[in-house]
Amino acid sequence: MDTNAPVAVAIEDVTFNYGRFKALDGLSLQIPKGMSFGLLGPNGAGKTTLIRLLAGLLKPQKGTVSIMGKSPSRLTAPITGYMPQLHSLYNELSIRQNVGFFASIYGLKGDDKRARVDSVIKLVELWDRRGDSVQNLSGGMRQRVSLACAIVHNPPLLLLDEPTVGLDPELRVTFWDYFKDLTSRGTTVVISSHTMDDAAHCDKLAFIRSGRVIANGTPEALRLGTGKETASLEDAFLYYIRLRDNAHA
Amino acid sequence: MPKYALPIAGRIILQIGRDRRTLALIIAAPVVVMTLIGLSFPDKSQLNYIAPALLAAIAFFFSFLITGVSFMRERSQGSLERLMASPVSRLDIVLGYLFGLFVFALLQTLIIFFFTIYAFGVTYRGDLWQILIFQLVIIVGSVNLGIFTSTFARNEFQVIQFIPVIILPQVFLGGILWPVEQMPRYLQYLSDVLPLTYAVKGLRDIMLNGKGLVDVGMDFSVLVGFTILTTILASLSLRRNAG
Repeated sequence: MDTNAPVAVAIEDVTFNYGRFKALDGLSLQIPKGMSFGLLGPNGAGKTTLIRLLAGLLKPQKGTVSIMGKSPSRLTAPITGYMPQLHSLYNELSIRQNVGFFASIYGLKGDDKRARVDSVIKLVELWDRRGDSVQNLSGGMRQRVSLACAIVHNPPLLLLDEPTVGLDPELRVTFWDYFKDLTSRGTTVVISSHTMDDAAHCDKLAFIRSGRVIANGTPEALRLGTGKETASLEDAFLYYIRLRDNAHA
Repeated sequence: MPKYALPIAGRIILQIGRDRRTLALIIAAPVVVMTLIGLSFPDKSQLNYIAPALLAAIAFFFSFLITGVSFMRERSQGSLERLMASPVSRLDIVLGYLFGLFVFALLQTLIIFFFTIYAFGVTYRGDLWQILIFQLVIIVGSVNLGIFTSTFARNEFQVIQFIPVIILPQVFLGGILWPVEQMPRYLQYLSDVLPLTYAVKGLRDIMLNGKGLVDVGMDFSVLVGFTILTTILASLSLRRNAG
């Protein structure tokens, strides 16, 4: 992993409110290319809002967001793969038809489309079920189909909103194997999560609380930053919360 | 032609086509409704008079309902948000939905039309192609109205609640059951702004009086205007950036 890699995502002093609720409060962050970057924080910390800003579904009310140097919009959509928290699939359609539809709206056609659709279905290990309707699949399988739909156009930036929620430990490991395979091929993977198990797999992460980044770095650096060699990432998260609260007291 | 409208339309056709129960209901519902109506009018001349109005109203109602519910489902399941994060434009989505659902709305129209003719012996004088073009405009406006209306609902149940608000006043005030001229003046003003009033009047003129599209130009133009307005409103209701 090259920590001096060029920047894939730059977020500068971004604020976003839902009415009176401040979801993001002057958040700044830089995500280097070709690594898995975790946005870690409790529910309501602002992770999904940040992912939706990167997907171009929200516009910052203050500050700037850029993806590969461009502001997120319909024009940056082809270089982005988005996997929302909900499965967001078409239940009546088969796995192949779902993935095929997303391939079409990302401009893939003919043999190229067929090859990519087959390849991602094989990658998520659902080839034997490719003709089955999504409504007949388990939750974990639907997550895998949703991931296949997000990566079918081979985007250089992947935005995954809580992709491992509800997965059993074995499938969680499988998902992380996919993500590692993607980053090894140069894809930047941004993952939001609230579990420290996911955090440990990331190349770098940012702890987010109340719409702000309270610390960021490699999991190892964040752990050691607590001053205790035996500290877990959970200990580290609590340590940085207290550190920040004390600074503001 | 927007680039991604056809893949979206294809997906919708495939989706409904694979859902056999929905497909069966799409075919059966207008037949059941028309059978009940047909049997309740033993006087054939009365049925002849009301058939064009019902053809317009039922096409309007079913197109609105099927679009509103399917679009609401797309919103609540998050698949619309996923579409909005892709390279498709708002017009792609509106036209994709329009083309996709139009196939089923047209199927229902044809079922109603031929069922009333062959099962109940309803007669018509105008050209079939002119009747279908007129119906086409009604369906397009209604599909887009369904998309636009679903913006104001949070679930399918709320979409259903729009039927008494949007459809029923048109049924009572649009000249289907009794002539508009027999209603109080203030209700006639209200009737003048309802699209179904023009749909009923135009289709009656074509089917009963053998008039052409040019002869019902005024009614046809109002419906085309309504269709353009609902297309714009439906497109505007799909916002990529909610912030």
